[in-house]
This record gives sequence, structure tokens and C-alpha cells, in this order.
Amino acid sequence: MTLKINIPDLAFAAFLVAIGAFAFALASELTVGTAAAMGPGYVPRGLAIVVMIYGAVLGLRAMFAGHAALPDIAWRPLILISASVALFAAMLPYAGLALSSLTVVICAGFASYDVRLHENAVLAVALAAFSVLLFVTVLGLPIPVRPQW
Amino acid sequence: MDLIANLATGFAVALTPANLGFCFIGALIGTLVGVLPGIAPITTIAILLPFTFTLPPASSLIMLAGIFYGAQYGGSTTAILVNVPGESSSIVTCLDGHQMAKQGRAGPALAIAAIASFFAGTVSTLVIATASVPMSWLALKFNAPEYFSLMVLGLTGAVVLAHGAPEKAVAMVLVGLLLGLVGIDVNTGAPRMTMDIAELGDGIGFVPVAIGLFGFAELAIALGQPQDRNLLSVKLSSLWPSREEIRQCIPAMIRGTAIGSVLGVLPGGGAALSSFAAYAVEKKSARDPSRFGRGAIEGVAAPEAANNAGAQTSFIPLLTLGIPGNAIMALMVGAMMIQGVQPGPQVMTAQPQLFWGVIASMWLGNLMLIVLNLPMIGLWVALLRVPYRLMFPAIVLFCCIGTYSTGNTVFDVWVMLLFGVLGVFFVKVGAEPAPFILGFILGPLMEENFRRAMYLSRGDATVFVERPISATLLAMSVALLVILVLPAVKRKREEVFKE
Repeated sequence: MTLKINIPDLAFAAFLVAIGAFAFALASELTVGTAAAMGPGYVPRGLAIVVMIYGAVLGLRAMFAGHAALPDIAWRPLILISASVALFAAMLPYAGLALSSLTVVICAGFASYDVRLHENAVLAVALAAFSVLLFVTVLGLPIPVRPQW
Repeated sequence: MDLIANLATGFAVALTPANLGFCFIGALIGTLVGVLPGIAPITTIAILLPFTFTLPPASSLIMLAGIFYGAQYGGSTTAILVNVPGESSSIVTCLDGHQMAKQGRAGPALAIAAIASFFAGTVSTLVIATASVPMSWLALKFNAPEYFSLMVLGLTGAVVLAHGAPEKAVAMVLVGLLLGLVGIDVNTGAPRMTMDIAELGDGIGFVPVAIGLFGFAELAIALGQPQDRNLLSVKLSSLWPSREEIRQCIPAMIRGTAIGSVLGVLPGGGAALSSFAAYAVEKKSARDPSRFGRGAIEGVAAPEAANNAGAQTSFIPLLTLGIPGNAIMALMVGAMMIQGVQPGPQVMTAQPQLFWGVIASMWLGNLMLIVLNLPMIGLWVALLRVPYRLMFPAIVLFCCIGTYSTGNTVFDVWVMLLFGVLGVFFVKVGAEPAPFILGFILGPLMEENFRRAMYLSRGDATVFVERPISATLLAMSVALLVILVLPAVKRKREEVFKE
């Protein structure tokens, strides 16, 4: 007999157990206290246990819920948008807003299946200029603009 | 305290040039994102939150509220002209609105949508103004156990009304509550689950979480789907509906407004639910239900009135009790807290300018929208022709800058990335992020009230059922959950969400 596993449900259940266990481990060093005088660890530990058990029950149910495959994930947009956000986070403190914005737009542009090179380059320059003007010049947000070497 | 004096206070605040300006900007941005499919109001509010933090509290809330109800207006334009709902709340407007457009009656459909929205906006502003005062008296009777039970009810409502499997929505609420607890414990000062990361001392940032789940994740998913926008080449010959059409619409508008005003207040309710309910009621009560789906003008008027009314009255629980009823209101709570305003009944008495100013601005915003929207429809249509590949890189960039500027640290940008990827995972496994964000916001509040209640009752949990208001609220939560698992309701619910 082959198991008819609902994979999305099982993946979600595994996530619940993992995050519950992680939180429980982190909260285990906190004082629990009593119901009348709860310590900082009382509610987090309780919730972590509930999440773990809930996840385990969902997971068990998913094993027999009938087969369902994980829906297709569009990897190209996911990876490229993740990359552009990561680039922003990594670059901003050193390269400043102008260069970081340029990089984000160019990188994110390729997330679309119908990207056009010239158009994307023009858009990147325009948006970089616009964001420096709007966020730093007009709104006065304290963001470094130029590269800080 | 009487209504006129209160509203006068409000208008004095809302009519200052600066606040009028912010109201206008909010309504304009709201309409813009409402028109564009693929950018939800919750995404926009999440992205724009950080930029409002430099404004005074009243101005910031006025602008955010403007985005919210502006989006309800804008969504209908796309629904009618393109048959693509700009927002989930205008899905039903597509049914008859687009049919009207195909029959060459796009003008009257757009006009009626705007008029119905304005009518509902006016009435629901009055509803908020009149209902808020007694609601806040009720709130004065609330103590820790009542607040806890009310939040339980709010979260239950979010579960019941979440799309997809309710058992996953419950899990999302629980995870939200758990992650909401990260940071320094207010009672003891002990850092909790921070992994010794200094940036987590104040908890996981609310803005990065919201932008990750609603901005990043939505983009990554939308880009994976084919984009098609077949713009109907409509001729906007005459904008004005005939006298006959107006006569047909008036009762529908009134019913829609009533339904929206009631459903908006319910926990988990809001604009989308209201528009579905109003459309169903019109269809059921019509003399000739077969006209619906073929361009019945009531089928535009009622849901448009209802979604605007529902959008606005969902502010009532937020403004009077400090409890968000849906995910967008949860973002508003976050905005208020970052502004240093603790949401709750005391806002009305301690900061009447803020409270009544926001309410008065809603009416002004609605007025601006009707003046703005009808003449500018041509512009909105032109915007719809801008390809998505030119818009989304800008959104990615604004997500990054917005996240960074809340705390001026790239740590938050990494958190945003993490929650963005998690958000994609949630959607792919069929778990809605909206219950998560409600749990996340309410987590610390619930724990505080739970601990206080248990402390006062010396560890006796029966305190939650011994006090009548608390017991009623809990009983309502249980009733909601019981109804949800009844097979008949379960089937019906699936039907409703399928539409």
C-alpha cells in the first residue's frame, strides 16, 4: 500500500513543528513561573508546545489525506527578487542609495519573463534618480546616498 | 459630548491645508493602486507605512485611511472596464459592471459605482461618529479578561473568514502569536527568544514582516503567473445614468450601505465580505434575478456601496476598542503604535483631535474621490496600459527603501527577505498570511491581558467565564467555530469562496 500524502499539508505541518521546537528551545532558558505570577517564559513555552502538537496532528492527517502535489513555484521571479533584496541589504551601507537602487532595479527587472534590456536600464537610472530625490531630498530620510569607502 | 461639536473638532483638524493635502495624496495613491490589478491595498499600506512615520500621528492616519478607501473606489474602475478586479472587494462588481461596459454603458456603471461609494462613505462616516461614543463607554467596562476574550473573538473571526482551510488559518494565528512575543518582556525586562541579536530586543519588526508577507511574496507570485489585460476599448460617451437607472439604484445603494456598515464592524469582516453579501442579497430580493450577471445596474450599486461602507466601519473596533478586525486594521494598529499612540478607548478622550480628525477626513476623502475620479477615468485607463514589467521593479525598490527607513538598519531588510520567502511558502501550501499578521500584532497585547487577568484572579482561569461580558465574547467565539465545522456551512463556505 502506498501512502497518499498531501504534500503541501505535510510541508506546512513540518514548518509548524520546526518553528514550535525552535521557539521552545529558545524559550526554555526563561523562567516559567506559576499561573498566578507568570514568568517571561510561561506564554511562549505554552504557545510553542501548542504549535508543535498542532503541527504534529496536521502532519499525521496529511499522511492519509489523499495525494496532492506541491503547486509549481515560479523559481525565476522568486530567486531574482530575493537576490535583488539581498543585494540592497548588502550594498546599501557601503555603496549608498544611488548605486544600490540601480542594482535592485536591474536585478529585479530580470524576474519578469519579458524583460527588455534597454528599457530596464533606462528604468533603473530613472528610478535611482527618483528615489534619491524623493526619499532623501524631499522626505529627508537619513539614508547614505554616495558610496562610503 | 455631542455629535456636532465632535465633528466640528474633527473638521477643524481635517481641514488644515496640510491634512487636506495628506488626505488627497492618500486618496489618490489609493485609487491608483486600486486601479492597478496585482497591487493590493494591504501591500501599499505596508510599503508606505514607514514613510508616514515622520508625519504627525493624525496626518499619518488620515493618509493611510485615504489609501484604504481610495482603493475601494479604484478597484471598481478596473472591474468595470477590464473585467479584472483591482481589489478582492470588487470581484462581484465585475459580474454586472463589465457586462454594462460591453453593452456600451460603461459611463453609467462607473458613475453609479462612484455615487454609491460616496453615498455609503457619507453614511458610514456618520455611523462611525455616532457608534463610536457608546462603543467607547462599553470599552470602559472592559478589563483584562474582557480584552483577552475580545481578542480571542477577533482572531476567531479572522479564522472563519480566511480563504482556504480554516485549520491552517488557526495554525497561522498561533504562529503569529508566538512570533509576536519575540523581544524584551515588558513585565520583567527579560529578553525573550532574541538569540542575543540586539536588533530583536524590540521584537521582530512589524514593518519588515508586513512588507515581506504582503509586498515581496505577492510580487514573486504574481510574476510567475501570466499577465493578461485585455482592455476593452470602451467609449465613454455619456457618463450619466438615466433617471430610470438612478431610481433602480437607490434602494440597492441603501441596502448595500446597511449590509456593509454591519459586516464591516464584525471581527474578520470588512470590504470584500460586505460586497459579496450585498450582491447576494440584491440577487435574491430582485423581482427578476436572471437580469443579474447581464448588466443589472443594482449589481454594481449595491456591492460598491457595501464595500466602501464595510471598509470604513471596520475602523470602529480599531478606534474604540483598539482591536483590529482584519489584516489592514492590524497594519493601522502597527502604525499607531509606532507613532506612540496606544490604540484603545482612551484615544477618543485623550486625543479627540486625532480621533475626530481621522473620521472627518474620511468624509472629505470620499468627497475628493468623487470629484477626482469621474473626470480622471481617462487617466486611469491610460495607466492600465503600462506594462507590469515596468512597475514591479519600482515596487521592489520601494519595499527595500521602506523597510530600511523604519529603523535605518539593513537588519530589517534581511528580515523582510526572510518573511517574503516564508510568505511565498505560505501561499504555496495554502495558508493565508492575513491571520498570521493579526496574531502577530495581537500576540503581545493578548499575553499582557492574559497575564494581568490571571494575576488578578490568582491563577484561576475561570475568571474568563465568570465575568458576563468576557463569557459572552468567548461563547461567540465558540459558536463561530462550531458553525464553521458544521458540514452544511462548510460546503456553503467553499461555494462562496469559489466565486
